[in-house]
Amino acid sequence: MNRSRLHRQKLPWQIVLIAAVTAAFFLAPFVGLIWRTPWSKFTDIVTRQEIRDALWLSIETSLITSVICCIFGVPLAWLLARVEFPGRRFIRALTTLSMVLPPVVGGIALLFTFGRRGLIGQYLDRWFGIRLPFTMTAVVMAQCFVAMPFLVLTVEAALRQLDLRYEGVARTLGGSRWYVFRRVTLPSIRPSLFAGFVLAWARALGEFGATITFAGNLPGTTQTMPLATYAALDSNPESALILSLVMIAIAFTILIVLRDRWLGRTDQGVPL
Amino acid sequence: MTLDTRFALIRGSFELDVDLSFNEGEVVAIMGPNGSGKSTFLHAIAGLLPVTSGTLVLNGETFDDAESDTFVDPTQRTVGLVFQGGLLFDTMSVLDNIVFGLRARKIKRATAATQVVPLISQFGLSALLERQPRELSGGQAQRVAIARALVTQPKVLLLDEPMSGLDTATRQLIRQEFREVLASFAGYRILVTHDSEDAFAMADRIIELDHGKVIWDGTVADYRGKK
Repeated sequence: MNRSRLHRQKLPWQIVLIAAVTAAFFLAPFVGLIWRTPWSKFTDIVTRQEIRDALWLSIETSLITSVICCIFGVPLAWLLARVEFPGRRFIRALTTLSMVLPPVVGGIALLFTFGRRGLIGQYLDRWFGIRLPFTMTAVVMAQCFVAMPFLVLTVEAALRQLDLRYEGVARTLGGSRWYVFRRVTLPSIRPSLFAGFVLAWARALGEFGATITFAGNLPGTTQTMPLATYAALDSNPESALILSLVMIAIAFTILIVLRDRWLGRTDQGVPL
Repeated sequence: MTLDTRFALIRGSFELDVDLSFNEGEVVAIMGPNGSGKSTFLHAIAGLLPVTSGTLVLNGETFDDAESDTFVDPTQRTVGLVFQGGLLFDTMSVLDNIVFGLRARKIKRATAATQVVPLISQFGLSALLERQPRELSGGQAQRVAIARALVTQPKVLLLDEPMSGLDTATRQLIRQEFREVLASFAGYRILVTHDSEDAFAMADRIIELDHGKVIWDGTVADYRGKK
């Protein structure tokens, strides 16, 4: 008896049934989208200037966001994983808060901090003439606010799992903390760093609430794909359908790549 | 010239309390059950854990003194540390592992590679240099780990359960190699093991720890007699 037949015979039908319903629940909305999509207008809508602008802005800002998340998130993750300091739990909770907050709340917080009359924004405006809201920078800031926790949590978990003796050996060999971090620690967590990067990118790509609140919805400047989709829902529902499909295709591709790179192949599991 | 370790080190509810002196040239095996403080002792010498009270002095130089707040960084202690399994850096080739200590001192890779040629030949690693650590056998990995530790010309060589996890045949082979390595090393040599056969084969002196306290300190012959 081959392995797949053995699996099939032993599968408990109750679990399979519930699992199938769950899968169908996720699948049905996509089928609904595809069913109503006006395929004949697909090329026409996707190639429109404002849609191409929105798509490009989304890709550009989400990539910039992911890089910024790595540059600023990795040191924070290292600090949270390795250094005992007063308020560590508070900082960790604060960092991950935006994962559970409605994004629009994050957007409001950013607006009242970096807006023209905000806590910091008023000085940026007065001293440097910098106005952040309704700019591409604001889009990136809003995306960073919601995407950073994904990178920090992933990298922090990887750092906690690392055997500290590797770094200990490297230190006794004469490596400064910075050298050991660059040459030993960082390469060891590369798969998790990649996973965190992709997760942050995916989150940034789909960001809506914080962006529309803090950066507005200006075509060509701050209107990303999710915002363009939302805007189209009122004026041109067919466009909204097609834009949704494009976003699903992008997200799905990212997740498939992530699954193979991050989780590895899982078909070598223990037989039931 | 001595290595003097007179300190207490508290970690959570565990306390290691030792008053031991080591002489250059002797091979000392530290034995004891799991959790007796063997590895903690090595970590303190290497500077990976600071002592809570007391002092740690090598050849008259204070490495660690809790009262005067003296603490010499692990990078400055010239202590070679070899762990069970070698703990080679998985993301580097064998050669990059061996030259790590030189590269950390800003020596160019090509120069470092030339400097380690005698060591590579001493340990018979010439054919393995471009391999990744995962491609090595347990014995080969240990040889690379020792070569890596010796590159920086340490004054103290610390071996933490270096033969654990090896099969019996490899163990016999490596034991012989370790004996030769230890014999050719001029500084302080401390070996942590839970296997008395390893200690009998390689050490001159045995120290036994239990619950962080020294319960035996004497020659191998006396220890064998006691048992």
